[in-house]
Order: sequence, then structure tokens, then C-alpha cells
Amino acid sequence: MASLTHPAGAQAHAKHETSPWRLVLNWLVLCGLTFATFGLSTLNMSPGGHLAAALCISTLKVTLVVLIFMHLWHGEGSNRIVFVTSFLFLLVLMFFVMADVSTRFTLTNSRIPPMPKVDQAMLPDGMPPAMSSGGPRRTSGPVGNE
Amino acid sequence: MQSSATARKVTAEGWLEPPPLPHHYDTVENHQSALRFGMWLFLGTEVLLFAGIFVGYFVFRAYFPESFEQAARHLSVKLGTANTLLLLTSSLTVALAHHNAERGKNRNAFWLLMASVVMGAGFLCIKAVEYAEKFREGALPGKHFRFSEITAPGGPIFYVVYFFSTGLHAIHVVIGMSLLTWVAVRCWRKEFSPGYYAPVENAGLYWHLVDLVWIFLYPLLYLV
Repeated sequence: MASLTHPAGAQAHAKHETSPWRLVLNWLVLCGLTFATFGLSTLNMSPGGHLAAALCISTLKVTLVVLIFMHLWHGEGSNRIVFVTSFLFLLVLMFFVMADVSTRFTLTNSRIPPMPKVDQAMLPDGMPPAMSSGGPRRTSGPVGNE
Repeated sequence: MQSSATARKVTAEGWLEPPPLPHHYDTVENHQSALRFGMWLFLGTEVLLFAGIFVGYFVFRAYFPESFEQAARHLSVKLGTANTLLLLTSSLTVALAHHNAERGKNRNAFWLLMASVVMGAGFLCIKAVEYAEKFREGALPGKHFRFSEITAPGGPIFYVVYFFSTGLHAIHVVIGMSLLTWVAVRCWRKEFSPGYYAPVENAGLYWHLVDLVWIFLYPLLYLV
């Protein structure tokens, strides 16, 4: 039970501590970046430019929160791998989905109107039954409940 | 059967003795490290949960850019910015609470955690004001949409994304507040010491994740 409050463990952890002043400084920088995001949004830029600027600043803010507030700067390597991997997987998902969406041509996204009704009398001989409005024709012969 | 809290002794420093070390861990550090790793794994799954929503946002934005821009102009930037600052400040107090708890300064940690909970409640109140306005205007998802100021197609889709993302985030805020309250009560009982503070750290990590999600939601919904 003596090891539960083992001073060696606490000291080992304290070597990697983040001082309260560094936490407060990080908070000030994060607030500053929030106002920077807001300020950038009021500038006259293209929508794509706004999106890129907002995502860059947000990514910077998230990095600061993760490294300083969540102590990943001094954290174990295993924890870093988990979090970085989950973000990479998020980027993979987003990249391929957006690559698909941005390379589609207009017709794939438009609604194709239903087939107009076809006057059977106008059809020449030998047309397939699917051309008719009623769908595939039944074969002749009795239809029973088997 | 006695509860573990009542059976525990008080150490010379005034802390409640930590719960017994599970037999499969060699040292306390080993145990703390495993608890921390488990929490990071869980946070990884949370990132993937929100990933779907963010991908949905980008896809629908690509299809309906005009309505997304029109709708963003009808969200209150002031309230969104206030909420961002509230969450960032609550993240600071949570980080400071962790700093105090790992030094056994339980009372300081208690007040810092309670400040974070109050800021979380403030966040939810501001969100409720925003939601009430959206309901009043009829800026709602699907067939409930009747907001005449968004003329471009896809307006109801924006509000699907808005309510789903902010709603799921608000649920996380409520869960985070509950976790912070739970560890604050344990701080009040002086349960944490340099050898045992993992619950404060893990609840704090959850709260920081709530902050991370909002850091992305804020510009995408309100500003872009």
C-alpha cells in the first residue's frame, strides 16, 4: 500500500508538469485566435478563402488545446498515436468523400424524370415489353395461386 | 458490505487513502498510465463519431453553398463567440483543477471544477436562447422549415446539420458537466493526491474534447 502514494512516481510526473502560467498564457492565445477567426470572417474574401482561413485557425487552436491543456506535449507516445491516428482517419474519410463530391458531373446529382407513357399503338413490332408503361408484360397462360 | 470510501483511511496529509491498486498493475504509475490510455482510446472513438457530422456538413455545403451562407448570416455571431470564450475559459479552469488535484490541493480543484460546471451551464443557456429563436422563426429541419429569409434551396438541410451537430455537442456538454460535478464532489472529500488523480485528469480530457469539437463548429456554422 505504500506504493500508492509513492513519491518517486509523483516526482517523475512533476518533471513534465505544465505550469499554471503556461496554461493561462495558452488560454490568452486561444482567446486571441478566436477574435482573429471572427475578424477574418468580416473581411471581403471568397467563400473558399474564408473556409480555408477558419479551418487553419481552428486547427491551430485544437493543436494548442491538445498539446497544452490535454498534456499531450509531455504525454506518453501511445496516447499521441491514438489521437493522431483518429485525426488522420478523419482526414482520410473527409478527403475521399469530398474528392467524390467535387468531381461529380452535374447529371449524377440531378433527378432524372420518370419515363413518359408510351402509346402502345405507336410502337413498331418487335419492341421489348419494358418500353410499355405498364412494365414487363406477363406471359400468357393461366396465373394460379400455387 | 462496506463502501470503499467509508473503509478508507485518511493519510497524514489529510487525503483519503487511494483505492487499492488492482493486482494486475505493478505500480501506481502503471495503473494511472493505463487509465489515461483508455481515456485517449475513448476520445479517439469520439473523434470518429463527430467525423460523420463534419463530413455531412462539407458534403451538404458543397451541394447547397448559397443556403449555407444565407443561414450562417442568420445565426448570432455574438452568442456563438460568447459560447466559444466560455468553453475556452472552462477548459482553462479544468486544466488548472487537474494541476491542483495532482498536488493534492483538493479544495482549489473543487472550486475550479465548479467554475467549469457553471460555465458549461452558461453555454447551455446561451444555446437554449439560440434554439428558442430558431423555433420562433421556423428555421427548422425538414418539413418543419418555414423560414422565409432563406430563399436558396437546401435551407432545411442546413438546419438538419445545425441542430444535429450542436445538439449532439450539447449532450456531450451535459455529460461533461456531470463528470466534472462527480469529480468535484470527490475533490471536496479530499480523495485525490499526487499518487491518485486519474478521475480528475480523465474527466478533464473529456471536457477538453467537448471544447475541441466546438472550436471547429463555431467558425463552420457561424462565420464561414
